[in-house]
Amino acid sequence: MTRHLAYLAYGTALLALLGFAEYRGWSLLRTSETRNVPRSVRDNPGAYRSPYVGGGRILRGK
Amino acid sequence: MVAAPPVAVRALRCPSCGAAIEQRGFDHTRSVACASCFAVLDAADPSLRVLTRFAGHLRVRPQIPLGTRGQVGGAPYEAIGFMQRSIAVDGERYAWREYLLFNPYRGFLYLTEYDGHWNLVRTVRALPERVHQGGRLAARYGGDTFRHFQTAVAGTDFVLGEFPWEVRAEDRAEVRDFIAPPRVLSAESTDDETAWSLGEYVTGAWVWKTFELPGRPPAPRGVYANQPSPFAAARRSVWQVFMLFLIALVAMAAVRYADAPAQVLRESRQLAPGQLDPYVTESFTLGGRTSNLEVRVGSDVSNSWFYLVFALVDEGSGRAVDFAREVSYYEGVEGGERWTEGSRTDRVRIPSVPPGRYYLRVAPELAPDAVRPVSYTLTLRRDVPSGGFYAVALLLLLVPPVWVTARAAAFESTRWMESDYGSATGNAAASDGEDDD
Repeated sequence: MTRHLAYLAYGTALLALLGFAEYRGWSLLRTSETRNVPRSVRDNPGAYRSPYVGGGRILRGK
Repeated sequence: MVAAPPVAVRALRCPSCGAAIEQRGFDHTRSVACASCFAVLDAADPSLRVLTRFAGHLRVRPQIPLGTRGQVGGAPYEAIGFMQRSIAVDGERYAWREYLLFNPYRGFLYLTEYDGHWNLVRTVRALPERVHQGGRLAARYGGDTFRHFQTAVAGTDFVLGEFPWEVRAEDRAEVRDFIAPPRVLSAESTDDETAWSLGEYVTGAWVWKTFELPGRPPAPRGVYANQPSPFAAARRSVWQVFMLFLIALVAMAAVRYADAPAQVLRESRQLAPGQLDPYVTESFTLGGRTSNLEVRVGSDVSNSWFYLVFALVDEGSGRAVDFAREVSYYEGVEGGERWTEGSRTDRVRIPSVPPGRYYLRVAPELAPDAVRPVSYTLTLRRDVPSGGFYAVALLLLLVPPVWVTARAAAFESTRWMESDYGSATGNAAASDGEDDD
Protein backbone atom coordinates (compact mmCIF):
# COMPACT_ATOMS: atom_id res chain seq x y z
CA MET A 1 0.00 0.00 0.00
CA THR A 2 2.85 2.36 0.73
CA ARG A 3 3.79 2.33 -2.95
CA HIS A 4 0.48 4.01 -3.68
CA LEU A 5 0.75 6.96 -1.33
CA ALA A 6 -0.07 9.32 -4.17
CA TYR A 7 -3.20 7.31 -5.00
CA LEU A 8 -4.16 7.19 -1.32
CA ALA A 9 -3.80 10.97 -1.09
CA TYR A 10 -5.66 11.50 -4.37
CA GLY A 11 -8.53 9.18 -3.42
CA THR A 12 -8.84 10.58 0.08
CA ALA A 13 -8.94 14.13 -1.26
CA LEU A 14 -11.52 13.09 -3.85
CA LEU A 15 -13.80 11.51 -1.25
CA ALA A 16 -13.34 14.52 1.04
CA LEU A 17 -14.33 16.81 -1.82
CA LEU A 18 -17.35 14.62 -2.55
CA GLY A 19 -18.39 14.74 1.10
CA PHE A 20 -17.99 18.51 1.23
CA ALA A 21 -19.90 18.96 -2.04
CA GLU A 22 -22.73 16.85 -0.69
CA TYR A 23 -22.71 18.61 2.65
CA ARG A 24 -22.90 22.04 1.03
CA GLY A 25 -25.32 20.90 -1.66
CA TRP A 26 -23.23 21.71 -4.70
CA SER A 27 -24.85 21.35 -8.09
CA LEU A 28 -23.82 21.74 -11.70
CA LEU A 29 -26.87 23.95 -12.42
CA ARG A 30 -25.97 27.32 -13.90
CA THR A 31 -27.97 30.04 -12.22
CA SER A 32 -27.79 33.78 -12.05
CA GLU A 33 -28.45 35.85 -9.01
CA THR A 34 -30.49 38.96 -8.50
CA ARG A 35 -30.08 41.07 -5.40
CA ASN A 36 -32.46 43.44 -3.68
CA VAL A 37 -35.64 41.94 -5.04
CA PRO A 38 -38.41 44.29 -3.87
CA ARG A 39 -41.00 42.87 -1.53
CA SER A 40 -43.68 44.06 -3.96
CA VAL A 41 -42.86 41.11 -6.22
CA ARG A 42 -44.77 38.92 -3.77
CA ASP A 43 -47.92 40.87 -4.66
CA ASN A 44 -47.02 41.73 -8.24
CA PRO A 45 -45.05 38.84 -9.77
CA GLY A 46 -45.15 40.44 -13.20
CA ALA A 47 -42.96 43.27 -12.00
CA TYR A 48 -39.94 40.99 -11.68
CA ARG A 49 -37.56 40.87 -14.66
CA SER A 50 -35.74 37.57 -15.01
CA PRO A 51 -32.67 37.26 -17.24
CA TYR A 52 -34.22 34.06 -18.62
CA VAL A 53 -37.39 35.60 -20.00
CA GLY A 54 -37.96 34.66 -23.61
CA GLY A 55 -35.64 31.68 -23.55
CA GLY A 56 -38.40 29.33 -24.48
CA ARG A 57 -39.76 31.30 -27.38
CA ILE A 58 -38.04 29.32 -30.04
CA LEU A 59 -40.25 28.00 -32.77
CA ARG A 60 -40.01 24.28 -32.88
CA GLY A 61 -42.24 21.25 -33.02
CA LYS A 62 -42.88 18.21 -35.10
CA MET B 1 31.20 -17.43 3.57
CA VAL B 2 33.39 -19.76 1.56
CA ALA B 3 36.93 -18.57 1.18
CA ALA B 4 38.14 -18.09 -2.36
CA PRO B 5 39.97 -21.25 -3.32
CA PRO B 6 43.34 -20.97 -4.93
CA VAL B 7 42.90 -21.30 -8.63
CA ALA B 8 45.29 -23.63 -10.35
CA VAL B 9 45.91 -22.30 -13.80
CA ARG B 10 47.31 -24.70 -16.30
CA ALA B 11 49.42 -23.01 -18.98
CA LEU B 12 49.02 -24.37 -22.48
CA ARG B 13 50.14 -23.34 -25.91
CA CYS B 14 47.90 -23.36 -28.93
CA PRO B 15 49.14 -25.94 -31.42
CA SER B 16 47.57 -23.94 -34.21
CA CYS B 17 49.05 -20.48 -33.64
CA GLY B 18 51.39 -20.93 -30.68
CA ALA B 19 49.58 -18.43 -28.46
CA ALA B 20 49.54 -19.02 -24.71
CA ILE B 21 46.31 -20.44 -23.30
CA GLU B 22 45.25 -20.70 -19.68
CA GLN B 23 43.07 -23.48 -18.33
CA ARG B 24 41.22 -22.85 -15.06
CA GLY B 25 38.52 -25.47 -15.00
CA PHE B 26 40.62 -28.38 -13.82
CA ASP B 27 39.58 -31.72 -15.23
CA HIS B 28 36.09 -30.40 -15.97
CA THR B 29 37.39 -28.62 -19.04
CA ARG B 30 36.74 -30.54 -22.24
CA SER B 31 37.57 -27.82 -24.74
CA VAL B 32 39.56 -24.61 -24.74
CA ALA B 33 39.27 -21.80 -27.24
CA CYS B 34 42.36 -19.93 -28.35
CA ALA B 35 41.81 -16.17 -28.09
CA SER B 36 44.26 -15.56 -30.94
CA CYS B 37 43.22 -17.88 -33.74
CA PHE B 38 39.78 -18.96 -32.40
CA ALA B 39 40.67 -22.61 -32.70
CA VAL B 40 38.84 -24.78 -30.18
CA LEU B 41 41.17 -27.37 -28.70
CA ASP B 42 40.49 -30.73 -27.06
CA ALA B 43 41.66 -30.18 -23.47
CA ALA B 44 41.56 -33.89 -22.76
CA ASP B 45 44.01 -34.61 -25.56
CA PRO B 46 47.69 -34.20 -24.52
CA SER B 47 48.47 -32.84 -27.97
CA LEU B 48 45.53 -30.38 -27.81
CA ARG B 49 44.06 -31.42 -31.13
CA VAL B 50 41.94 -28.83 -32.86
CA LEU B 51 38.25 -29.64 -32.50
CA THR B 52 36.90 -26.80 -34.59
CA ARG B 53 37.59 -23.28 -35.77
CA PHE B 54 35.31 -20.30 -35.62
CA ALA B 55 35.31 -17.68 -38.31
CA GLY B 56 38.02 -15.19 -37.47
CA HIS B 57 36.05 -12.19 -38.69
CA LEU B 58 33.56 -12.43 -35.84
CA ARG B 59 35.15 -11.16 -32.68
CA VAL B 60 32.97 -10.46 -29.69
CA ARG B 61 34.41 -8.86 -26.60
CA PRO B 62 32.95 -10.27 -23.39
CA GLN B 63 31.52 -7.69 -21.04
CA ILE B 64 32.82 -9.83 -18.20
CA PRO B 65 36.49 -10.46 -19.01
CA LEU B 66 37.50 -14.09 -18.60
CA GLY B 67 39.27 -14.61 -15.31
CA THR B 68 36.99 -12.12 -13.51
CA ARG B 69 35.71 -13.40 -10.20
CA GLY B 70 32.60 -12.57 -8.23
CA GLN B 71 30.58 -13.80 -5.27
CA VAL B 72 27.46 -15.62 -6.37
CA GLY B 73 25.29 -17.16 -3.68
CA GLY B 74 28.07 -16.69 -1.14
CA ALA B 75 30.68 -18.51 -3.17
CA PRO B 76 33.36 -17.18 -5.50
CA TYR B 77 32.88 -17.96 -9.15
CA GLU B 78 35.24 -17.21 -12.00
CA ALA B 79 34.27 -16.46 -15.57
CA ILE B 80 36.16 -19.09 -17.55
CA GLY B 81 34.19 -19.36 -20.79
CA PHE B 82 32.29 -17.10 -23.12
CA MET B 83 30.27 -17.79 -26.20
CA GLN B 84 27.90 -15.96 -28.46
CA ARG B 85 24.98 -17.96 -29.73
CA SER B 86 22.15 -17.01 -32.02
CA ILE B 87 18.87 -18.09 -33.47
CA ALA B 88 17.26 -17.10 -36.73
CA VAL B 89 13.58 -16.16 -36.68
CA ASP B 90 11.86 -15.06 -39.88
CA GLY B 91 15.24 -14.48 -41.48
CA GLU B 92 16.44 -12.26 -38.68
CA ARG B 93 19.30 -13.32 -36.42
CA TYR B 94 19.05 -12.78 -32.68
CA ALA B 95 22.31 -13.24 -30.78
CA TRP B 96 22.91 -13.57 -27.08
CA ARG B 97 25.97 -14.10 -24.96
CA GLU B 98 26.67 -16.81 -22.40
CA TYR B 99 29.31 -16.73 -19.68
CA LEU B 100 30.46 -19.89 -18.01
CA LEU B 101 31.16 -19.38 -14.31
CA PHE B 102 33.13 -21.94 -12.35
CA ASN B 103 33.68 -22.74 -8.71
CA PRO B 104 35.78 -25.85 -8.07
CA TYR B 105 33.52 -26.94 -5.19
CA ARG B 106 30.15 -25.96 -6.54
CA GLY B 107 30.59 -26.50 -10.25
CA PHE B 108 29.24 -24.40 -13.07
CA LEU B 109 26.79 -21.54 -13.41
CA TYR B 110 25.90 -19.60 -16.51
CA LEU B 111 25.18 -15.94 -17.02
CA THR B 112 23.32 -15.10 -20.19
CA GLU B 113 22.87 -11.64 -21.66
CA TYR B 114 20.58 -10.39 -24.41
CA ASP B 115 20.07 -6.69 -25.13
CA GLY B 116 21.10 -5.80 -21.60
CA HIS B 117 18.86 -8.44 -19.98
CA TRP B 118 20.72 -10.91 -17.77
CA ASN B 119 19.87 -14.35 -16.43
CA LEU B 120 21.71 -16.45 -13.89
CA VAL B 121 21.30 -20.02 -15.07
CA ARG B 122 21.98 -23.37 -13.48
CA THR B 123 21.33 -26.81 -14.82
CA VAL B 124 18.53 -28.82 -13.26
CA ARG B 125 18.71 -32.47 -12.36
CA ALA B 126 15.05 -33.40 -12.19
CA LEU B 127 13.15 -33.71 -15.42
CA PRO B 128 10.37 -31.12 -15.73
CA GLU B 129 6.91 -32.47 -16.44
CA ARG B 130 5.37 -31.65 -19.82
CA VAL B 131 1.85 -30.27 -19.36
CA HIS B 132 -0.63 -28.03 -21.14
CA GLN B 133 -2.04 -24.82 -19.78
CA GLY B 134 -4.78 -22.96 -21.58
CA GLY B 135 -4.27 -25.11 -24.65
CA ARG B 136 -0.61 -24.20 -24.76
CA LEU B 137 2.47 -26.25 -24.07
CA ALA B 138 3.88 -25.76 -20.58
CA ALA B 139 6.33 -27.39 -18.19
CA ARG B 140 5.98 -28.03 -14.50
CA TYR B 141 9.05 -27.85 -12.33
CA GLY B 142 9.44 -27.35 -8.61
CA GLY B 143 5.69 -26.92 -8.18
CA ASP B 144 5.52 -24.05 -10.67
CA THR B 145 4.11 -24.01 -14.17
CA PHE B 146 6.25 -22.47 -16.88
CA ARG B 147 4.45 -21.45 -20.05
CA HIS B 148 6.03 -22.14 -23.39
CA PHE B 149 7.49 -18.99 -24.90
CA GLN B 150 9.66 -19.89 -27.84
CA THR B 151 11.30 -22.77 -29.67
CA ALA B 152 14.23 -22.14 -31.98
CA VAL B 153 17.37 -23.77 -33.28
CA ALA B 154 20.44 -22.14 -31.80
CA GLY B 155 23.94 -22.13 -33.24
CA THR B 156 27.25 -21.09 -31.74
CA ASP B 157 28.88 -18.10 -33.42
CA PHE B 158 31.89 -17.40 -31.28
CA VAL B 159 33.67 -18.85 -28.26
CA LEU B 160 36.41 -17.83 -25.86
CA GLY B 161 37.86 -19.66 -22.88
CA GLU B 162 37.03 -23.17 -21.82
CA PHE B 163 33.98 -25.38 -21.57
CA PRO B 164 33.05 -28.67 -19.94
CA TRP B 165 31.92 -30.08 -23.27
CA GLU B 166 33.40 -30.32 -26.73
CA VAL B 167 32.47 -27.12 -28.52
CA ARG B 168 32.08 -27.41 -32.28
CA ALA B 169 31.29 -24.67 -34.75
CA GLU B 170 28.64 -26.75 -36.43
CA ASP B 171 26.83 -27.51 -33.15
CA ARG B 172 23.09 -26.94 -33.38
CA ALA B 173 20.58 -27.36 -30.60
CA GLU B 174 16.85 -26.93 -30.40
CA VAL B 175 16.15 -24.51 -27.58
CA ARG B 176 12.73 -24.42 -25.94
CA ASP B 177 12.06 -21.68 -23.42
CA PHE B 178 9.28 -21.81 -20.82
CA ILE B 179 8.69 -18.82 -18.62
CA ALA B 180 7.31 -18.04 -15.19
CA PRO B 181 8.73 -14.55 -14.60
CA PRO B 182 11.25 -13.93 -13.19
CA ARG B 183 12.36 -17.46 -14.08
CA VAL B 184 12.89 -19.24 -17.35
CA LEU B 185 13.13 -22.98 -17.85
CA SER B 186 15.07 -23.96 -20.93
CA ALA B 187 15.50 -27.27 -22.69
CA GLU B 188 18.39 -27.70 -25.12
CA SER B 189 18.05 -30.75 -27.30
CA THR B 190 20.61 -32.27 -29.59
CA ASP B 191 20.43 -35.60 -31.36
CA ASP B 192 21.89 -37.25 -28.27
CA GLU B 193 20.40 -35.55 -25.26
CA THR B 194 18.17 -32.91 -23.74
CA ALA B 195 19.57 -30.68 -21.05
CA TRP B 196 17.31 -28.58 -18.84
CA SER B 197 18.36 -25.39 -17.11
CA LEU B 198 16.65 -22.89 -14.87
CA GLY B 199 17.41 -19.21 -15.20
CA GLU B 200 16.46 -16.31 -12.99
CA TYR B 201 16.36 -12.74 -14.22
CA VAL B 202 19.02 -10.53 -12.67
CA THR B 203 19.75 -6.91 -13.35
CA GLY B 204 22.79 -5.57 -15.10
CA ALA B 205 23.52 -3.61 -11.93
CA TRP B 206 23.71 -6.89 -10.00
CA VAL B 207 26.14 -8.33 -12.54
CA TRP B 208 28.31 -5.20 -12.44
CA LYS B 209 28.36 -5.18 -8.66
CA THR B 210 28.98 -8.92 -8.36
CA PHE B 211 31.96 -8.90 -10.71
CA GLU B 212 33.10 -5.39 -9.79
CA LEU B 213 33.02 -4.33 -13.41
CA PRO B 214 33.99 -0.77 -14.30
CA GLY B 215 31.42 1.71 -15.55
CA ARG B 216 27.72 1.08 -15.77
CA PRO B 217 25.86 -1.81 -17.36
CA PRO B 218 24.18 -1.13 -20.70
CA ALA B 219 20.52 -0.26 -20.26
CA PRO B 220 18.24 -3.16 -21.16
CA ARG B 221 16.25 -2.73 -24.35
CA GLY B 222 12.69 -3.92 -24.77
CA VAL B 223 11.00 -6.49 -22.59
CA TYR B 224 12.72 -9.83 -22.09
CA ALA B 225 10.91 -13.16 -21.94
CA ASN B 226 11.16 -13.67 -18.18
CA GLN B 227 11.67 -10.07 -17.14
CA PRO B 228 9.49 -9.44 -14.08
CA SER B 229 6.82 -6.88 -14.78
CA PRO B 230 7.30 -3.73 -12.74
CA PHE B 231 3.53 -3.27 -12.89
CA ALA B 232 2.44 -6.71 -11.67
CA ALA B 233 2.68 -6.05 -7.94
CA ALA B 234 1.54 -2.46 -8.40
CA ARG B 235 -1.52 -3.65 -10.28
CA ARG B 236 -2.58 -5.93 -7.45
CA SER B 237 -2.05 -3.40 -4.68
CA VAL B 238 -3.61 -0.48 -6.54
CA TRP B 239 -6.81 -2.48 -6.93
CA GLN B 240 -6.69 -3.29 -3.21
CA VAL B 241 -6.52 0.43 -2.45
CA PHE B 242 -9.35 1.02 -4.92
CA MET B 243 -11.50 -1.54 -3.08
CA LEU B 244 -10.97 0.42 0.15
CA PHE B 245 -12.08 3.60 -1.59
CA LEU B 246 -15.05 1.81 -3.09
CA ILE B 247 -16.13 0.61 0.35
CA ALA B 248 -15.78 4.18 1.66
CA LEU B 249 -17.75 5.54 -1.29
CA VAL B 250 -20.57 3.03 -0.83
CA ALA B 251 -20.66 3.79 2.91
CA MET B 252 -20.88 7.52 2.19
CA ALA B 253 -23.70 6.95 -0.29
CA ALA B 254 -25.52 4.65 2.13
CA VAL B 255 -25.39 7.25 4.88
CA ARG B 256 -26.45 10.01 2.49
CA TYR B 257 -29.35 8.11 0.99
CA ALA B 258 -30.52 6.74 4.34
CA ASP B 259 -32.49 9.91 5.11
CA ALA B 260 -35.24 10.78 2.65
CA PRO B 261 -35.01 14.42 1.55
CA ALA B 262 -37.61 16.69 3.12
CA GLN B 263 -40.38 17.89 0.81
CA VAL B 264 -40.90 21.61 1.33
CA LEU B 265 -43.49 22.45 -1.31
CA ARG B 266 -45.85 20.76 -3.75
CA GLU B 267 -48.10 22.80 -6.05
CA SER B 268 -50.05 21.94 -9.16
CA ARG B 269 -50.97 24.35 -11.93
CA GLN B 270 -52.51 24.36 -15.35
CA LEU B 271 -51.19 26.26 -18.33
CA ALA B 272 -53.57 27.34 -21.04
CA PRO B 273 -52.95 29.49 -24.09
CA GLY B 274 -53.63 33.05 -23.12
CA GLN B 275 -53.33 32.36 -19.38
CA LEU B 276 -49.60 32.67 -18.82
CA ASP B 277 -49.28 35.34 -16.17
CA PRO B 278 -46.35 35.04 -13.76
CA TYR B 279 -47.27 33.90 -10.26
CA VAL B 280 -45.64 33.18 -6.93
CA THR B 281 -45.94 30.08 -4.82
CA GLU B 282 -46.79 30.09 -1.18
CA SER B 283 -43.84 30.77 1.11
CA PHE B 284 -41.89 27.87 2.54
CA THR B 285 -39.10 27.48 5.08
CA LEU B 286 -35.75 25.88 4.28
CA GLY B 287 -34.16 24.72 7.50
CA GLY B 288 -30.87 23.18 8.51
CA ARG B 289 -27.55 24.03 6.94
CA THR B 290 -26.81 25.53 3.55
CA SER B 291 -27.70 22.80 1.10
CA ASN B 292 -29.32 22.20 -2.25
CA LEU B 293 -32.97 22.53 -3.23
CA GLU B 294 -34.42 20.22 -5.83
CA VAL B 295 -37.18 21.52 -8.10
CA ARG B 296 -39.05 18.74 -9.86
CA VAL B 297 -41.56 19.43 -12.63
CA GLY B 298 -44.05 16.71 -13.58
CA SER B 299 -46.52 17.35 -16.42
CA ASP B 300 -48.93 15.84 -18.93
CA VAL B 301 -47.47 17.77 -21.88
CA SER B 302 -47.74 15.95 -25.19
CA ASN B 303 -46.41 16.96 -28.60
CA SER B 304 -45.64 20.37 -27.22
CA TRP B 305 -43.38 22.20 -24.83
CA PHE B 306 -43.56 24.67 -22.02
CA TYR B 307 -40.93 26.78 -20.40
CA LEU B 308 -40.79 27.88 -16.77
CA VAL B 309 -38.71 30.86 -15.71
CA PHE B 310 -38.01 30.57 -11.99
CA ALA B 311 -36.79 32.96 -9.36
CA LEU B 312 -36.19 31.53 -5.91
CA VAL B 313 -36.61 34.59 -3.73
CA ASP B 314 -35.26 34.84 -0.19
CA GLU B 315 -37.86 36.86 1.66
CA GLY B 316 -35.36 37.93 4.30
CA SER B 317 -32.46 39.15 2.19
CA GLY B 318 -34.22 40.00 -1.06
CA ARG B 319 -31.78 37.80 -2.92
CA ALA B 320 -33.15 35.78 -5.83
CA VAL B 321 -31.67 32.86 -7.72
CA ASP B 322 -32.80 32.85 -11.36
CA PHE B 323 -32.99 29.78 -13.53
CA ALA B 324 -35.27 28.36 -16.20
CA ARG B 325 -36.34 24.92 -17.33
CA GLU B 326 -38.00 23.61 -20.43
CA VAL B 327 -40.18 20.55 -20.53
CA SER B 328 -40.99 19.07 -23.94
CA TYR B 329 -42.43 15.77 -24.99
CA TYR B 330 -43.30 14.49 -28.44
CA GLU B 331 -44.68 11.15 -29.45
CA GLY B 332 -46.17 9.47 -32.48
CA VAL B 333 -46.22 6.46 -34.74
CA GLU B 334 -44.10 6.29 -37.84
CA GLY B 335 -43.76 3.32 -40.15
CA GLY B 336 -45.80 1.26 -37.72
CA GLU B 337 -43.40 2.01 -34.87
CA ARG B 338 -44.12 4.20 -31.89
CA TRP B 339 -41.59 6.88 -31.07
CA THR B 340 -41.13 9.39 -28.30
CA GLU B 341 -38.79 12.29 -27.75
CA GLY B 342 -38.14 14.32 -24.64
CA SER B 343 -39.67 13.83 -21.24
CA ARG B 344 -42.78 14.97 -19.38
CA THR B 345 -40.74 15.54 -16.26
CA ASP B 346 -37.71 17.58 -15.35
CA ARG B 347 -35.58 17.90 -12.29
CA VAL B 348 -32.94 20.39 -11.23
CA ARG B 349 -30.98 21.11 -8.08
CA ILE B 350 -30.27 24.67 -7.00
CA PRO B 351 -26.86 24.67 -5.33
CA SER B 352 -26.03 25.89 -1.84
CA VAL B 353 -29.24 27.54 -0.74
CA PRO B 354 -28.89 29.03 2.78
CA PRO B 355 -31.65 28.36 5.31
CA GLY B 356 -34.45 30.92 5.36
CA ARG B 357 -37.96 31.77 4.22
CA TYR B 358 -38.47 31.58 0.47
CA TYR B 359 -41.03 31.61 -2.30
CA LEU B 360 -40.80 30.79 -5.99
CA ARG B 361 -41.76 33.28 -8.63
CA VAL B 362 -42.73 31.37 -11.78
CA ALA B 363 -43.22 32.85 -15.25
CA PRO B 364 -44.56 30.16 -17.59
CA GLU B 365 -44.34 30.10 -21.37
CA LEU B 366 -46.22 27.71 -23.59
CA ALA B 367 -45.61 26.67 -27.18
CA PRO B 368 -47.50 29.12 -29.40
CA ASP B 369 -49.09 26.27 -31.32
CA ALA B 370 -50.29 24.47 -28.19
CA VAL B 371 -53.92 23.51 -28.62
CA ARG B 372 -54.70 22.13 -25.21
CA PRO B 373 -53.82 23.07 -21.65
CA VAL B 374 -50.83 21.54 -19.87
CA SER B 375 -51.04 20.51 -16.24
CA TYR B 376 -47.90 20.40 -14.19
CA THR B 377 -46.83 19.91 -10.60
CA LEU B 378 -43.89 21.55 -8.85
CA THR B 379 -42.27 19.54 -6.07
CA LEU B 380 -39.48 21.06 -3.99
CA ARG B 381 -37.22 18.90 -1.84
CA ARG B 382 -34.39 19.98 0.44
CA ASP B 383 -30.91 18.41 0.74
CA VAL B 384 -31.16 15.85 -2.07
CA PRO B 385 -28.18 13.53 -2.68
CA SER B 386 -26.41 13.96 -6.00
CA GLY B 387 -25.96 10.51 -7.49
CA GLY B 388 -23.94 11.99 -10.34
CA PHE B 389 -21.25 13.14 -7.93
CA TYR B 390 -20.83 9.59 -6.66
CA ALA B 391 -20.61 8.30 -10.24
CA VAL B 392 -18.00 10.91 -11.13
CA ALA B 393 -16.03 10.11 -7.97
CA LEU B 394 -16.14 6.42 -8.85
CA LEU B 395 -14.82 7.11 -12.35
CA LEU B 396 -12.04 9.34 -11.05
CA LEU B 397 -11.08 6.71 -8.46
CA LEU B 398 -10.88 4.15 -11.25
CA VAL B 399 -8.38 6.16 -13.28
CA PRO B 400 -5.17 5.12 -11.43
CA PRO B 401 -5.94 1.36 -11.23
CA VAL B 402 -7.10 1.27 -14.84
CA TRP B 403 -3.95 3.10 -15.90
CA VAL B 404 -1.68 0.68 -13.99
CA THR B 405 -3.62 -2.28 -15.39
CA ALA B 406 -3.25 -0.93 -18.92
CA ARG B 407 0.49 -0.47 -18.41
CA ALA B 408 0.77 -4.02 -17.06
CA ALA B 409 -1.16 -5.36 -20.05
CA ALA B 410 1.04 -3.39 -22.45
CA PHE B 411 4.13 -4.82 -20.75
CA GLU B 412 2.82 -8.36 -21.14
CA SER B 413 1.80 -7.67 -24.70
CA THR B 414 5.33 -6.49 -25.51
CA ARG B 415 6.77 -9.57 -23.80
CA TRP B 416 4.65 -12.00 -25.79
CA MET B 417 5.20 -10.15 -29.06
CA GLU B 418 8.67 -11.70 -29.01
CA SER B 419 7.33 -15.20 -28.47
CA ASP B 420 6.17 -17.88 -30.87
CA TYR B 421 2.64 -16.74 -30.18
CA GLY B 422 2.88 -13.24 -31.57
CA SER B 423 0.84 -10.20 -30.66
CA ALA B 424 -2.65 -11.68 -30.72
CA THR B 425 -1.90 -14.46 -28.28
CA GLY B 426 0.35 -12.16 -26.35
CA ASN B 427 -2.49 -9.79 -25.69
CA ALA B 428 -4.61 -12.67 -24.52
CA ALA B 429 -1.84 -13.78 -22.28
CA ALA B 430 -1.62 -10.39 -20.69
CA SER B 431 -4.63 -11.06 -18.50
CA ASP B 432 -3.01 -13.90 -16.64
CA GLY B 433 0.61 -13.29 -17.40
CA GLU B 434 1.53 -12.39 -13.87
CA ASP B 435 0.10 -15.33 -12.04
CA ASP B 436 3.48 -16.60 -11.15
CA ASP B 437 4.84 -13.40 -9.72
